[in-house]
Amino acid sequence: MSKKSIRKTILHIFSRIKEQPIELVLFLCASFSIVILFLLLLFVASEGALAFSNFGLELLIGQVWDTNAGLYGAFPLIFSSVMVSIGALAIAIPLGLGTSIFITEVVPFSIRDVIKSIIELLASIPSVIYGFIGIIFLVPAIASVFGITSGYTALAASLLLAIMAVPTIVGVSGETLSAVPKDYKEASLALGATKLQTLRHVILPIAKSGILASVMLGFGRAVGETVAVLMVAGNRAQVPMPPWNFLDPVYPITSVIAMQMGEASLYSAEYSALFGLGLILFIFTFIVNTTADIVVRRDGKIGGRKK
Amino acid sequence: MTETTKERVVFFALGVPMVMCLIAFFWILAILSSGAGTLNLSMLTTSALQGGLFEMIVGTIYLLLGAAGVAGPIGVLAAVYLVEYAPSGKITRIIDQAVNNLAGVPSIVIGLFGFAFFTTQLGLGRSLAAGWLTLSLMMLPIVIRGTEEALKMVPPSFQEASLALGTTKWRAITATTLPSAAPGIVTSVILGIARVAGETAAILFTSCVLITRGLPKSPFEPVMALAYNMFVRIVAIGDPAESVFGIALVLFLIVAVFAIIAIVIRTYYRKRQPWLR
Amino acid sequence: MAKVETKNLNLWFKDNHVLKDVNLTIKENAVTAVMGPSGCGKSTLIRAMNRMNDVISGCRVTGEVYVDGKNVYEDGTNVYDLRRRVGMVFQRPNPFPKSIFENVAFGPKIHKIANGKKLEEVVEKSLRGAALWDEVKDRLNDTAFSLSGGQQQRLCIARALAVEPEVILMDEPCSALDPASTARIEMLIRELSEKYTVIIVTHNLQQAARVSDFTAFLYVGELIEYGETEKLFEDPKSELTEKYITGKFG
Repeated sequence: MSKKSIRKTILHIFSRIKEQPIELVLFLCASFSIVILFLLLLFVASEGALAFSNFGLELLIGQVWDTNAGLYGAFPLIFSSVMVSIGALAIAIPLGLGTSIFITEVVPFSIRDVIKSIIELLASIPSVIYGFIGIIFLVPAIASVFGITSGYTALAASLLLAIMAVPTIVGVSGETLSAVPKDYKEASLALGATKLQTLRHVILPIAKSGILASVMLGFGRAVGETVAVLMVAGNRAQVPMPPWNFLDPVYPITSVIAMQMGEASLYSAEYSALFGLGLILFIFTFIVNTTADIVVRRDGKIGGRKK
Repeated sequence: MTETTKERVVFFALGVPMVMCLIAFFWILAILSSGAGTLNLSMLTTSALQGGLFEMIVGTIYLLLGAAGVAGPIGVLAAVYLVEYAPSGKITRIIDQAVNNLAGVPSIVIGLFGFAFFTTQLGLGRSLAAGWLTLSLMMLPIVIRGTEEALKMVPPSFQEASLALGTTKWRAITATTLPSAAPGIVTSVILGIARVAGETAAILFTSCVLITRGLPKSPFEPVMALAYNMFVRIVAIGDPAESVFGIALVLFLIVAVFAIIAIVIRTYYRKRQPWLR
Repeated sequence: MAKVETKNLNLWFKDNHVLKDVNLTIKENAVTAVMGPSGCGKSTLIRAMNRMNDVISGCRVTGEVYVDGKNVYEDGTNVYDLRRRVGMVFQRPNPFPKSIFENVAFGPKIHKIANGKKLEEVVEKSLRGAALWDEVKDRLNDTAFSLSGGQQQRLCIARALAVEPEVILMDEPCSALDPASTARIEMLIRELSEKYTVIIVTHNLQQAARVSDFTAFLYVGELIEYGETEKLFEDPKSELTEKYITGKFG
């Protein structure tokens, strides 16, 4: 976007605003989101800046996170977040994609809305209740199934996150699948292809980007989830031994912030370190969301039909 | 294996995930309702000082209403601008991306911001007001997106007819487009409320405390909330999970009621508005 | 010899009785036009021949449709092979968002008719059959959307030809095209009738007269008249047909 066209657009907006003061009010409301995001970045970054200037890269790659000892190596925390989220996706992707394909392609119209509503209700359940269910049911179940003393593990967190991420994946990929123009489906069927062949060779290739975007958004959701994970993950700041051992406790970034903010005194090193973690989280989810947006938008240009 | 058989097998296999999701949903319902015994109606009106849930329920409602009061108007007006007024595609795209990004910010980060900005910088302290502002940030994207969709579904011919009669654009919108989009807008606000009702991480440091003497008398006092209470009791105090079954149930019911109302409104009005789909 | 024949064909969409007792005979290797005012059931009629109406929920059919003497609504009919033998071209060109080559190769791959070198030959043959080869032979890997509207429609015809059909159904194939492209496709239709049986739905009387050997006139789901195109247009037997042809209603 060239400087000239930005300038032109801003002048255009101002001239229209002079016409109707209402439009100014509306414009301010619309820009509110941008302003908030900017403020968010500003404040989180400035509070976390101290930590980065004190510890620098150690914050990210340091292996020990011990606030009492003044050690702020977030590597085990970052590892925990990633591990738990990937575990969640491993379950949520087949579950979510399978469900959304089934809903859009196989389920008859009449039941479709009912099932979609149930999935929507799943999405509305507060995370603290998921955590509650996790403690009451999942944690003891894991302990008994795997014969370990404590079910507060990465596995418990991943399972909860998976259920929480599924509605996101189903929702976005379902929208994408429904948006595939019916013309293509008809053309394929008229050539004698079965519904499955049409799905495989025509519909899915077209919906690829939207599906990818839904997975990315699901990942973002999993990484950003705080409460449910906190309640069942065990909260020990150590990389599991061996690294793929889901039966070890873990301590994702979100949980750390939630647990330790309460005790951190204002503007202390710990306070700043926690904000540093928040900054890392923010940047990460920002990248994931923007990429997902771009992926969806780019496809809109390629798959479009000439009118 | 013929194509037809292959199709049957694959489609059957695809049905399994969906069934699992449904099972998960009903399993959760079952677990929650198993604790129904710990709840009795009197708890809803008894003060927390005597083991009841009154202040928590009212506190939660206060938080929700305030957040909706902030996010509702701003969100609707923002959406109106984006759909009806925004001049070029680029500006709309940037704002849309900003809205999507705001939606994707982890709730704990919103909580951190709320603490750093509303509580500390603006000096609101741990208060209802700080909670309103923080929660409104989470509601905002939901209201904006839902309102945008509702506005886009109204046929432009309604507005055109009004403009052809000589009204201003804003008048045309308030007279024709907004009323037609009203069900969709209301639905999105309710869904936003449902989303925020159970929110814990965002208000962890900005507005709640474990116990208060009675209800807050001003927005600058802290408040009790169901989700917060449940969370802190289990995690910080170490109460056994079963002891908060009552809170979990009430919270779930509140959220479920809001969500179901939203879905019902949407379905009901979809039938009554013949221009939809 | 009747290639396609409908006997007492009745069709309902939910409670809507769309086709009423249609008895129609389609001659082999000829172009038959199905004409009539909007909403008279023309598209539904030809879609009954390749059972594409099955895709729409709430569709009920009684009567028979014979292709090569076999009733395609009989239990146990292989619908997928039927649709290979009875191909369809739609009103709006709908090439897949793939390359030109992949569009034409789609059908043969699905039905496992050809692969590798043979597939390339099939694609070339089909594109020639649709009078499109010379225009695209150097850019087979370009996306189908780089073609003009008329070219896209010819691509769809090539795509249908690639699975070696016997009958080609065309549902108002030129209504979305400009006059020049329309003329080219009408020429193509006449050529195609030498090897295939072509049934074309049109609401354009002049097109029916230009392009077809036989014409069927459908009105509100009923077959009013059927006969050789010249005879039907010059000397229609039914008063309704005459009114339609002379433009007393549309």
